[in-house]
Amino acid sequence: MLAPIDGLSGGQFRSVLAAGVFFAGIIFGYLVGRVNKRLLYAMDVDDAVEGTTVERLAERAGSTTVDLIAQFTSWVVYLVAALVALDIARFSIQNPLWYPFLSYLPSVVLAAGVMMVGVLAGDKAELYVSERLRSVKLPELSVVPLAVKYTILLVAGLVALSQLGVAVNALLVVLFVYVGAVVLFTLVATRQLLTSAAAGVYLLLRQPYGIGDRVAIGDHEGIVQEVDVFVTHVEADEREYVVPNHLVFRRGVVLVRE
Amino acid sequence: MSRPPDLVGDIVDGIDALLLFSPSGAYYERAAALDDTDVVVVATENAVGADEFVELPLEFDDVRERIKFGVEGALSEGVVTDGDELGCAAPLFGDDIDMVARTRADESRQSGVYDLFANSRSEPGVIRDVFEVVIELGRKGQKGEPVGALFVVGDAGKVMNKSRPLSYNPFEKSHVHVGDPIVNVMLKEFSRLDGAFVISDAGKIVSAYRYLEPGAEGTDIPKGLGTRHMAAGAITRDTNAVAIVLSESDGLVRAFKEGELVLELDPEEY
Repeated sequence: MLAPIDGLSGGQFRSVLAAGVFFAGIIFGYLVGRVNKRLLYAMDVDDAVEGTTVERLAERAGSTTVDLIAQFTSWVVYLVAALVALDIARFSIQNPLWYPFLSYLPSVVLAAGVMMVGVLAGDKAELYVSERLRSVKLPELSVVPLAVKYTILLVAGLVALSQLGVAVNALLVVLFVYVGAVVLFTLVATRQLLTSAAAGVYLLLRQPYGIGDRVAIGDHEGIVQEVDVFVTHVEADEREYVVPNHLVFRRGVVLVRE
Repeated sequence: MSRPPDLVGDIVDGIDALLLFSPSGAYYERAAALDDTDVVVVATENAVGADEFVELPLEFDDVRERIKFGVEGALSEGVVTDGDELGCAAPLFGDDIDMVARTRADESRQSGVYDLFANSRSEPGVIRDVFEVVIELGRKGQKGEPVGALFVVGDAGKVMNKSRPLSYNPFEKSHVHVGDPIVNVMLKEFSRLDGAFVISDAGKIVSAYRYLEPGAEGTDIPKGLGTRHMAAGAITRDTNAVAIVLSESDGLVRAFKEGELVLELDPEEY
C-alpha cells in the first residue's frame, strides 16, 4: 500500500511522514485526553468515585482518578501513533517478534479498561452498601460490603482475563458455584418474606381491608393500624399484633362489622 | 495582661457537660479530648460518630429553641441529669460554632418537645416530614391566602374509628407517604378541603376530609384558639396520636400530644 508513496517521494519523505504522523498522534492523543477529562467531569465521574480506594490511591500519588483515566487514554493514542509511525518508517515492524504484541494490544487496552471500571464499581458498591448498612449497628454485617466488592472484582477480573485469552474455565466454575450458593441460600432463608411480599402486593393493590377496619386474622382480632408489603399491624386493646402477610392468605381474613 | 478568653472563660467554668451543636469533625475531636467534661453532640445526623448524641429533627433556626430541644433531649436520653450545669457551643451566624452559652438542665421546665418526636407512636422521621409540610404550607399558603390545616399523625386505626368521612376520601387506594416529593404539592391542593388529614405510624396518608369526633370533655387548651385546635387537642387525648395544626388566623404551627399543646412554631422563621 505504501509503494506509491515510495515511488513518489523516496525514502527520505517516508521518515518525514513518519515523524509527522507521530507528532499528529501526540497532539491528537493530548486532545483526546483533554476532551475525555471534560466529558468525565461533565458526567460527574469525579463525584461518583469520591471516597473509593482508587481515588484515595490516586490522591496520594498527587492526581485524581479522572486525570489518570484521561492520561491513560492519551497514552494509548500515543502508543498507537508511535506504532503507526514505526510502520511507515518501515522499522522492525515486520519483525515477527512484534506480531503477538501488536495483535494483543486492543485486548490489553480493553482488559485494562474493564479492570479499571470493575475496581471503581467494586469500590463504589462497597461504599454504597456499607453506607446503607451503617444505621444497622451489627458489626458482623461489615462482611457484606466486602463480599459485594470482591464479587464485582471477580466478575471484572474474569472479563478482563477472558479478553486476554487466558483460560478462565476453572474460575468460572468457582463463580457459578458461589453465585448459585448465594441465590439458593437467599431463597431458602427468605421464603417466608417472599410469600409475604407477594401477598402484600395483592393486599396493597386491592385493599380488601384498610387502616381503621376491624378484622380477625387467625386468632388475632383488632383494628388494622398499618398494612405494608410484608406485614399487617393489627391492634387490640394494648396489644399490637404484627401478622406476616402470608398468614393473611393462609388463614384468610374476617372483616368484623358491628 | 488578660486576653479575651479569660473574660468568657467564666461561662464554661465548672460545667458538667458540654453540648456541641452540629460540630465539625475536627472541633469534636478537640472537644472529646477534654478531661472531666462529658461531650454531647446535638445535630440532625451523627456525622462525627459521637457516643452521646441527640438527634435534632428540625433545623431550629432560633438558637434558643435549638438549645432548649438539645437540653430536653439530653435529659430524656439520660446523658445529663437534673441540675447539671451545661455549656452549649453552637453556630449562630455562620456554619461553624461561633457562640457559647451556659444553661442548667431543669426537669421541671421541660415542654415535651423532645418527647413529641422521640416517644410518639409514629416514627420521628414521619413527624418531622409532617412538620416540614405544614411549615411549608404556612409559609406559602394556598395561592398566597393563609390556610389552616390539621394533621393527625399515628394511631391511624383508632383515629379512623373516632372520625367519619365528610366526603369521598381522595387518598383511597393510594399509597402516598408524607416525605414523598409529590406530597407537598398534593397536600397544598387538598388543604382547601375541610376536615383533618389522617397519617399512619409509618407515614402513609390514610385519609383527608375526616371529621374528628373525639370526646372533647376535659380538653384544656389555651383560650382563644379555635375549633380546629380544640379538635386536635381532643383527638390526641382520646388516642395515642399526635396532632399538628396550622392556624388560619395567626399562621402559627402548633403540635398537640396527649391533649396538651407542646410546641408552637412560627413558619416564617424556618
